[in-house]
Amino acid sequence: MPKVNIVFFASLRETLKTDHVTLTLEQPLSVFELKQRLAEHLQQPLLLQDNVKAAIDYDFARDTDIIDVTKVTEVAFFPPVTGG
Amino acid sequence: MAEPHVIAVQTADFNVQTLYESLCQEHHAGAVAMFVGRVRDFSDAPDLSRFVLEHYPGMTERNIEKIVAEARQRWPLLATQVIHRVGELSVDDQIVFVGVASSHRAEALAACDFIMDYLKSRAAFWKKEITPEHVAWVEAKHSDEESLNRW
Repeated sequence: MPKVNIVFFASLRETLKTDHVTLTLEQPLSVFELKQRLAEHLQQPLLLQDNVKAAIDYDFARDTDIIDVTKVTEVAFFPPVTGG
Repeated sequence: MAEPHVIAVQTADFNVQTLYESLCQEHHAGAVAMFVGRVRDFSDAPDLSRFVLEHYPGMTERNIEKIVAEARQRWPLLATQVIHRVGELSVDDQIVFVGVASSHRAEALAACDFIMDYLKSRAAFWKKEITPEHVAWVEAKHSDEESLNRW
């Protein structure tokens, strides 16, 4: 079954006390559904907050975007960006 | 002639004069617009205050490439240089350089402004502020997101 690498950045990484987890996902799911799976897996409801942003294979993604587990390698979660 | 469109995410500092010269290789480059972002004093103890800039290797470069590609579709740009530093930075350090060469002023200024606006809200960087009193991740500003509506 396809494994997806999930990585965390900045304040979210510090709150979760981990920079990545690997999950085996059987079927396509939305970014929000993955947040729900992770919130349960890591016992951290904070992941469901609106200000947790996501990327699928390096592209910014919305909560409603679908993760095709057969093609996707990495999903990232992080707070709103503050560069520049 | 060196590659005219360059992006870099690096810990090292950059030299504005060298970057300016690299923007001037093309003889049609009648206008060069440049922006430098610096760490300003954000506490009462500037000597003891610093930023740590985190990024997402791979994604950050891809984000910047997309922003520059979009700018090049909108304006005829002869050269672009986008350098963003990561790691630990102190007050007065340079953080970011955006340089754009075009034939005319209006395009160069607009493209430089556009790239900088998008770098703020569409590139994977996060700033952490460290002073003797506190350690805190910088919060995203609503105004940065709103300024994208100008484009």
